[in-house]
Amino acid sequence: MGYRKIKENNKTVWHYFKIYFLSLFLSLSVFAVGSFFKPQFSCANSATCKSDLVVNVDNNAVGVFQGRKVNPPKVDLAMVTAATSVLGVHVSNEKKHIYVDLSRQTLHAYEGNQEIMQALISSGKWGRTPTGNFNIWQKLPVTRMAGGSGADAYDLPNVQWVMYFHNDFGFHTAYWHNNFGYPMSHGCINMRLIDARKLFAWADGPAGNQKGTAVSVCDQFKRPGTCVQNNPVN
Amino acid sequence: MVITRRQIELETFLLISIVVVGSLYFAIQKNNHQPQFSFASGISPVSAPAEIISPKITVAQQISPDGEKKVIMKVTENSDNTKTHDLSTADENGANEKFVFTKILDSSKSMSIPFNTWSPDDKYFFIQENAGENKSIFVFKATGESLTDTEKYFDAADIFRQKGTGNNFAEATGWASETLIIINSKKPDNTKGFSYWFEVPSKAIIQLSTEF
Repeated sequence: MGYRKIKENNKTVWHYFKIYFLSLFLSLSVFAVGSFFKPQFSCANSATCKSDLVVNVDNNAVGVFQGRKVNPPKVDLAMVTAATSVLGVHVSNEKKHIYVDLSRQTLHAYEGNQEIMQALISSGKWGRTPTGNFNIWQKLPVTRMAGGSGADAYDLPNVQWVMYFHNDFGFHTAYWHNNFGYPMSHGCINMRLIDARKLFAWADGPAGNQKGTAVSVCDQFKRPGTCVQNNPVN
Repeated sequence: MVITRRQIELETFLLISIVVVGSLYFAIQKNNHQPQFSFASGISPVSAPAEIISPKITVAQQISPDGEKKVIMKVTENSDNTKTHDLSTADENGANEKFVFTKILDSSKSMSIPFNTWSPDDKYFFIQENAGENKSIFVFKATGESLTDTEKYFDAADIFRQKGTGNNFAEATGWASETLIIINSKKPDNTKGFSYWFEVPSKAIIQLSTEF
């Protein structure tokens, strides 16, 4: 018997090295594959997230949500675009920041350290709302949103006061339900029309080199600087 | 002595006159003392100014999600410790107010307007009545009209209880659509039970696969 023999069953040190490296390789492979398949939060509205991120008015269409017909509100685009600021009547140089508290289903709008708006929202129920720190990258006064499949399919024209902050995840009205304070969306932040209109008028989209209003989606939030984010996307 | 017929007539007249005058006297005396009997307890007969107690009135209201309509609940505290709840709807600016319903509750009960009271299309709203652990959810038409030929409103919580789902009514959170109220239930052991839809106006109770 040579010195490399360890046990009576004739296993060599080399044999154990092979097993060790094979295990290491398998572990790394599983980790890499698992990371690849983790949720990417690419889309909230699977049918329109890439094609319909534009202003879209259709006053003759019938909406569908939860397998039921919904009557969308008639939208006068001229009136919508002429909507004036409500929260923004006072001029402030303070930095604007919107916080979303997913645990309490609330939205908080700040100018500096001053909270100027608080509202109940509905975040993702059939799709997760991504946590993280973002900026509003597009504002649309009205558009169409569609997605889901089977009984969960939805097609909702004339969705008003849309502000996207991460891909097609954004703030917008939800005329098809009134269950604010509870998750009800496919990942977006649903708001009452009266709240979404105020927020839209106050918040800024990108302009030149300036980013849009900052948005932080938190698992828990109390005040600026206390935004708890578990597994943020950025 | 001979009493003439004329004397008899005169004495009779005098006797009757005395009786009448005497009766009148006692009658007048009685009437003059009448007020004193009423205030025998010592309260001054001088009429005191009536104490005007203004009933305490509070008003609660909830605007619809689109800002077009509002439901108004005026609560008047009555002197017998009851409260009168008057429900009405109106446009956001107060115009077109329509009376919907009134109900008097004793002090052990209360009524409230939930945040998500309005159906998304502003056609219906619901009100919550609390009587200890027992809750009622009254669903009304916003126009004040009856929901059916015989029913002014539905009690969604009571209909849920009658359905016999095996779970107890817990809360109504809001509207899933124009005609569907979301009901959360709790199991007999008080843990969270299934969620349901209550459909207006069919009164159907539909169990959901997801919890709200």
